[in-house]
Amino acid sequence: MRSSSRLLIGLFIGLLLGVLYGWVIRPVEYIDTAPDTLREDYYSEYVLMAAEAYSADGDLDLARVRLAALGPRPPVNIVVSAIDYGLEHGYSQLDLETLNRLVVDLRAVPPSAEIDTP
Amino acid sequence: MRGRGVLLLLIGLLIGLAAGLYYSWVVNPVEYVDSAPSSLRQNFKDDYLALIASAYAHTGDLQRTRARLASLQLDDPASALSRLAQSRLAEGRPESEVLALAQLAAVLGQRPVPGLATGASPGTATPIAPTPSPTASPTATRTPTPMPTATPGAPYTLLDQEEVCDIRLGEAQMQVLALDAAGEGVPGVELFVIWDAGQDRFYTGLKPELGPGYADFTMLPGVTYTLQLSSGDRPVAGLMAPECFDDDGNSFPGSWRLIFQQPPQP
Repeated sequence: MRSSSRLLIGLFIGLLLGVLYGWVIRPVEYIDTAPDTLREDYYSEYVLMAAEAYSADGDLDLARVRLAALGPRPPVNIVVSAIDYGLEHGYSQLDLETLNRLVVDLRAVPPSAEIDTP
Repeated sequence: MRGRGVLLLLIGLLIGLAAGLYYSWVVNPVEYVDSAPSSLRQNFKDDYLALIASAYAHTGDLQRTRARLASLQLDDPASALSRLAQSRLAEGRPESEVLALAQLAAVLGQRPVPGLATGASPGTATPIAPTPSPTASPTATRTPTPMPTATPGAPYTLLDQEEVCDIRLGEAQMQVLALDAAGEGVPGVELFVIWDAGQDRFYTGLKPELGPGYADFTMLPGVTYTLQLSSGDRPVAGLMAPECFDDDGNSFPGSWRLIFQQPPQP
C-alpha cells in the first residue's frame, strides 16, 4: 500500500473518531441556557404563564419584562406565536383568552419606560 | 518499511482526530435549540419559578403547577419557592410576586407547625417535599382549585402571647402564627413591625416547613417593637426580647410567640 493511502486511511478513521467523540460521547454541553432556547412547547407555556401572571397582577410592564427574556422579538409577536401554537395544539378556550387579553393590552398600552432584560 | 507505514497511519489518525474534534466542538457543535426549563441558567430558573407562582395565583390549578415545577427538576420545590420569596422580598421585587411565591410555597409544604408547638428551632425542621408530578410536559387543560389566601372578613385577634426561652434558636425572634376561624394556618398574611429606628414588613407562609401560617422576625436585644397585622384588630405593643437563662445560669435573649386567629363567622 502506498504511503499516501495509509495517511489518508488514518486521517479518515481519525476524523470519524473525532466527530464520534465530539458529537456523541462528549458533546458540547449547554447547561446555562436562556429562555429563548426553550423547546416550542415550553416556550409557549412560558408565554402562557406570563399571560396568567398578568391576569393576576395586572402589571403590564412586568409582563413585558418577562416576555423580553424570550428574545428580541416584539412582545406582541411572541404572544401571537404562542396563540398560534395554542390553536394548533388544543389549548383550552380559557388559555387562549388569557393570551389574547395580554396581546390586546400590549397593543393598547405603550411601554411606560425602557425595560431591562432580566 | 512496515514501521514507516504504521507511523503514517498513526499520524493520519491523529490529524483526523484533531480535525474531527475541531469540527464537532467548534465549527459545527451540537446545538441545543430545544432546551428544557431544567437547563436554564440559575437566574432564569428563578424567574421561571416566580412565573409559575404568579401564574398559579391566577389559575389556582395545582395539578398544572406541579407539572410546571416538575419541568425544573427541583429537589424540593417548596423550599426553593420559600427561599426565592425571601430573597425577592429583600430585593424589593413586586409584592404580588413575593406573595404568589409565599402562597405556593405554603400550599406545597403544608404540614402542622412543629416549631410553634414544641419550641423547636426553625432551622432543625425537616421540609416536606411535594408529590412530584407524573409528567414534565406542559398541559393545556385546567382544573381550577381554590387559591389559599388570607381569609377576608373578621380581623385577626391576639389569641395567645408567650415567652419562648429556646437557646437553640440562636437569636431573639418574634414568632407569629396566623390561624383562620377553623384553626388552620393562613399564608400570605401581611405583618408590619415598627420600632424607634424603623419599620419592616413580612408575611406568613415564607417558611412552609414550619406551617403555612407561620412567620418570624429577628428582634434586636434592647429594642422595643410593635406588631400589627394588616388585617388585625389592634397592634401588639411593647415587644422586647425577654431575658432568658440557660442551665448554667447564663442569660440569652429569648423570643415571643404570638398566635392570632380570626373569630368564627356569626
